[in-house]
Amino acid sequence: MEQELRKEARKLLEEGKVDYIVGFAGGSLKFTATPLITKEKEEVASLVVNPFIVNNLAKFLTEVPGRIGIVAKGCDSRSVVSLIQDNQVIRENVVIIGVPCSGLIDIAKVEKLVNRDRDEIDDITLQGEKVAVIIGGRKTELPTKEVLFEHCLGCESPTPQEYDILVGKPTNAIGDKELSRRRIKQLEDMVPEQRWAFWKEQLGRCIRCYACRQVCPACFCERCFVEESQPQWISSVSQWQDNLMFQVIRNIHVAGRCTDCGECERVCPQNIPLRSLSKKMSEFVDEMFHYQAGLNKDAPALMTAYEQVEAEDLIM
Amino acid sequence: MATKKISKKEIAKLLGIWNQQLSVFVPSKEENVAKMVRWDGIDVSFLDWYRNTVIPCKANFLPSMERMFSFKKNEDGYHTEIPQDKQKQLIFGIRPCDARGIATMDKVFTETYEDFYYVSKRKNTLLIGLSCTNPYDSCFCTSLGLEPTEAADVDLMFTDIGDEFLIEEITDKGEELLVATSLVKQATKADDAKAKMLKATVSAMVRKKVDIKEIAKKLQACFSDKDYWEKVAAKCISCGVCTFLCPTCFCFDICDELVKKQGARYRGWDSCSFRLYTKMPMENPREEKWRRVRQRVCHKYEFYPMNFDVTACTGCGRCIRLCPVNWDISQILSSLPTSAISRSEK
Amino acid sequence: MECKSEWEPRIIGFLCKWCSYAGADLAGSGRKKYPANVRILKVPCSGRVDPLLILKGLRLGFDGVLVSGCHPGDCHYQTGNYRARRRIALTKKFLEYIGIPEERFKASWVSASEGAKFAQVVANVVKDIEEIGPNKLFAEDGQ
Repeated sequence: MEQELRKEARKLLEEGKVDYIVGFAGGSLKFTATPLITKEKEEVASLVVNPFIVNNLAKFLTEVPGRIGIVAKGCDSRSVVSLIQDNQVIRENVVIIGVPCSGLIDIAKVEKLVNRDRDEIDDITLQGEKVAVIIGGRKTELPTKEVLFEHCLGCESPTPQEYDILVGKPTNAIGDKELSRRRIKQLEDMVPEQRWAFWKEQLGRCIRCYACRQVCPACFCERCFVEESQPQWISSVSQWQDNLMFQVIRNIHVAGRCTDCGECERVCPQNIPLRSLSKKMSEFVDEMFHYQAGLNKDAPALMTAYEQVEAEDLIM
Repeated sequence: MATKKISKKEIAKLLGIWNQQLSVFVPSKEENVAKMVRWDGIDVSFLDWYRNTVIPCKANFLPSMERMFSFKKNEDGYHTEIPQDKQKQLIFGIRPCDARGIATMDKVFTETYEDFYYVSKRKNTLLIGLSCTNPYDSCFCTSLGLEPTEAADVDLMFTDIGDEFLIEEITDKGEELLVATSLVKQATKADDAKAKMLKATVSAMVRKKVDIKEIAKKLQACFSDKDYWEKVAAKCISCGVCTFLCPTCFCFDICDELVKKQGARYRGWDSCSFRLYTKMPMENPREEKWRRVRQRVCHKYEFYPMNFDVTACTGCGRCIRLCPVNWDISQILSSLPTSAISRSEK
Repeated sequence: MECKSEWEPRIIGFLCKWCSYAGADLAGSGRKKYPANVRILKVPCSGRVDPLLILKGLRLGFDGVLVSGCHPGDCHYQTGNYRARRRIALTKKFLEYIGIPEERFKASWVSASEGAKFAQVVANVVKDIEEIGPNKLFAEDGQ
């Protein structure tokens, strides 16, 4: 798949069909990939496809200029479509190079299960239902379902639904819907006071680094509500009340545009379970308005559409 | 000064003695995130897993949020109340990189100007260093003139020599800490030799090397190369993770919270990576991302050394480990263009 | 004997200028009796109400937030209240998931001629909030 990807990316640059290629290259740490943004055709030789290509590259569409050839997994291509629905990206300016993906390995889960940090692990190989982890020459096998990202376990589009070029063969997700919403279920089973106490404690640890907001392709506002000072909606420094407000408002603001790429939770340096907020919001969106983000580029965005009669049970 | 030692089994007891007079902080994990927390008086299992914290120890001196003062308006005017922080602290297990980070920040917060809040915490805190035994692959402290096992910036230095810790007394205050206890014994020549050998082994484990000789000159030479910096900055997403987790970053914002006639002034972390960091009414000198990225690199390796004779980086590697897009400062520093560029940034 | 000060709910209401605000006016000129616990803020349309306003109200310590607009189909700006309805629905569900009791945020459709309905809406909202008590959600522990 990698060879095919590199060939196609190079061709796009050589034929002048795109100005930039945005894809994944190998990272500087073990089991890490990193975004590659280049206009040099020699550099596309570094493009990779492996179980660690976690970044949602659609983020870069709202800042890299010109026409872009973007490498997109299923969730990424949904984000691209969502941006098109929001008129942030023009379809003709993007060449989507679809990469089928049955799930990515959450290195944090592996680290926890083998009780080692990533730099102490020699190798991790995805082998269908099992993942082989080699430490100091010794092999441990872990069930794949226990080391995939939770959002991968709940994946609805392992093969990108919108693409110009598809690299590799369409694939199925190694899914487990129940496992993918394990933590959300735990929260649903709590009484409201327990849930408030949970989020109060979790967001008390937030340091307002905004990594969650910055990785999110759906957060493309020139000026975020946090940065308003007249009026000031929330404090600019970290207090649990304002941290909680930040997350709640952010999730409501991106409702209908969140594609459950899981990046917000992955990048949080304090391991706050942010996906338990964003995924639940997209479930509400689906339940009430039968809408999922980024599946149809011609459909109106969630908040610009309406039915004559809906959600009346929530109005007095 | 002759070295001392203590059996690992007695560490809890030693911490217990200190805990009676001071607030002892030790490494702990919350949701699998390592950080310094108040010791619970019992648990020393961190000795088994501790490598380094996610939030550096600067948070004990410059917290992510602190109240500077509260104010209230009465009939006779405004009354302010400044929190008095006289709590004596002891941080056990600070790594040499983090200790150097604090020493680097001291230049701004205690030497050039005495920051009331920082200083009141700093002079009431004792730092107990702990030599590394397992550096990360992202560590590069040795490239910055540090050793993972030496610390001039702490009061006592502990080094793991097997069943015991070797203790070096670095300052008088550190020496005082060991006076009142029989748990601490004199170290033998064999202990010293063992420590020396282990230190050399650990030092060699820091494999990432960055040549920072002449880095200031190289940065100066390519300062105006907009194309180069745009390429360097391309994948950065302008969050604040690298700055907030850096032991030497200290930018802060001040804001007032007011409800009717009372409120408080707070200080909290800010980041030069944020787009609006330099926004002023008329303009934003660092509106473009490449300018912010260039600023961050030049501040750490050119401007700060120019002003304070010390690099604003300790090679702890947190920025590399925790960056959402794996933007790697060591790669950037190792690949700076070596020839002077005459292209203008306009 | 000490005079005990009873807690009175403080509720903030975002009423759309064309329908609900006029309806509230009508309740007043019709001398309808209803609790005086709602502080009214006039907005041009219920569609202007961002979840930020709702959350900020709760953050500031209001015991409840009410949003009221024109009936669907009757919005002065054609589609404003349709947008509001989607936002309100998602906000209500999400707040409940976070742990904020659903009584603290209510929404209604009140037209300019429904003075009596407005009085009833306010009475219901105030009663529900009196039952669940003051909003201490964002208070620091011990306050």
